[in-house]
Amino acid sequence: MLFHDWLNDSSKIILFDGGMGSEVFKRGIKPGKLPDTLNIEQPDVIIDIHKSYYIAGADMCQSNTFGSSFINLKNYKLEDRIREINLGGLENIKKACPPNHLIVADIGPSGEFRPPVGKASPDQWISSFEKQATLLEAGVDLWHIETMSDIEEMKAALEAVRIISKKPIISSMTYKKTKKGFYTIMGDSLEKCAQIQEDQDADVIGANCTLGSDQMVDLMKDLKHLTDKPISIKPNAGQPRINSDNIAVYDQPIKDFVNDIGEMIQLGAKIVGGCCGTSPATIKEIRKLIDSLEN
Amino acid sequence: MAQEQFYGEISDAIVNLDKEKAIELANRAVTENLNLLEVIEKGFGDGIRRIGDLWEEGEFFLPELMLGGRIMQESMNILLPSLKESETSASRGVIVIATIEGDIHSIGKTIVGTMLSANGFDVYDLGADVPAEKIIETAVEKNADVIGVSALLTTTMFGQKKIIDILEERGIRDNFKVIIGGAPVTREWTEECNADGFAGSAIEAVKLVKHLLNK
Repeated sequence: MLFHDWLNDSSKIILFDGGMGSEVFKRGIKPGKLPDTLNIEQPDVIIDIHKSYYIAGADMCQSNTFGSSFINLKNYKLEDRIREINLGGLENIKKACPPNHLIVADIGPSGEFRPPVGKASPDQWISSFEKQATLLEAGVDLWHIETMSDIEEMKAALEAVRIISKKPIISSMTYKKTKKGFYTIMGDSLEKCAQIQEDQDADVIGANCTLGSDQMVDLMKDLKHLTDKPISIKPNAGQPRINSDNIAVYDQPIKDFVNDIGEMIQLGAKIVGGCCGTSPATIKEIRKLIDSLEN
Repeated sequence: MAQEQFYGEISDAIVNLDKEKAIELANRAVTENLNLLEVIEKGFGDGIRRIGDLWEEGEFFLPELMLGGRIMQESMNILLPSLKESETSASRGVIVIATIEGDIHSIGKTIVGTMLSANGFDVYDLGADVPAEKIIETAVEKNADVIGVSALLTTTMFGQKKIIDILEERGIRDNFKVIIGGAPVTREWTEECNADGFAGSAIEAVKLVKHLLNK
C-alpha cells in the first residue's frame, strides 16, 4: 500500500497535517466544547479544515476523532453518540481527501489515568479504544495514536487497535523536558517508551504536542539513537499565550518552526507535521522545504 | 533540636512516600502533645514542598505527586481533629476550591487544597467539573474568604471569568477574594478576569492566599 511505499522510499519525507483546535476557532467557533462534536454539528467546518491541509501539501491528514474514545466521550456525557461522532469524523475526512493521499484515524488519550493518579485499568482502556477503532477501521489507511502521557495507556491503545486492524500504526507519546532528559508526566523515559513501542510492534514511533519545535529537535537527537523504526514528529508552535479574545495563540514565526523541522529531517525524521498552534500556512512552508530537499 | 530532627523525619517520610512512617509520626505528634501547627508546617508541609520541588526538577512525576498528596491527606486526618480541639488553632480563613465545569483535571487543585488545609485554612474542595453557580452557592453558604477556581484547558478557563461575572452581577464580588490557577492561566488572563490573583504552584497558592488575607 501507499504508506509502506512511502516508508520504504528513502528519499520520501511524509508530510502530516497541523493543528485542529486553532483552525476551528479561526472559523468563528467559540471554545467550550469537545471539538469532535463538530463532526456532526458543523461538518462543513471540519471538511474545510481537512481540505485546507491537503491543499497546503500534506500527504496525509488525521480524522477529527482525537477525543472520541468511549471513556473520553463518557467524561463529556457523550458516550451514547460514539458511533455518530466517529463515523461523522470519518465521513468528513473522506470528503476532503484527494486521490493518492492518505486518511489517518486519530486516537487521543482517554483522559483517565491509572492508579495512583486515577482509576483506569488496562482492560477499561482497551475496551474503550477498541470501541472507537471498530468504528474507524473501515475507511482509514493507517492509525495515529497520539499525545499519550502514559506508556501503559499507549500499550492498551496499541493492543486495542491491533485486535481489529492490520493497518500501520504511528505511536506518538508526549514528553516534557527535564534535567535528566525527556520523560512523560507519568515518569516514563523516552528510552523506556521507545522500547515498549517497539515491543508492541508500532510501525512508526513518534512524539507530538507539549514541546515546541526547538525542544523537539533535542528529543529527535535522543530518539534516533533509541530506535531503528521510522520516526514521526509533530511539535507545537512554541508555547501559547491567551489573547484578548480568550483564545490561545502561538507567536512563534513559521520560519523558525520550519527551520527546526528541517533540522529534524536532517536528523532522520521520516514523518513531519505540526500540533497545537500550527496551521495550513505552516504546512505549506514545510511542503516547500521538503520539495526543495527532494529536488 | 530534637524537634527539628522530628520534623526532618516527617519531611523525609513524605518525600520517601513512606505512608506507614508518616502516619506513625502523625500519631506520635498527637500523643506527645506537640505544637501541631509547627508539625504540619515544618514537617508535613516541608515534605510536600520538597515533593513539589522534585516535580519541578523532573525527579518526581505524577504518581509520586499523587501518592505524596494522599499520604499528606491521611496524616492530616489524624492531625486536624486534634488541632481543632485546641484554642490556638483558629482557622486562618475559609476557602472554597474547585475545578470548573467541563474540566475533569483535579490533580493540581487537590494539591492546592491539601496545602491550604495543612497551612491552617478550612478548605471545602468541591472536586472537578463543578458548575460556576454551585461554587458560588457553596462560597456564600460557608461564608468563604477565598474562592479558588482551577482550569487546565484553554477551552474551560472561561469558566473562571464566568464566576467573577456572576459575583459582580449579584453584587457580592467584594465578599470574596477570587484566585485562579491551572496550566493555561497567565497574569494577563488574571487581570482580564478581574481576579485577585493567580498561582503557578501549590506553594505559590498558599503564599497568595496568606497575602490576600493578610495572614
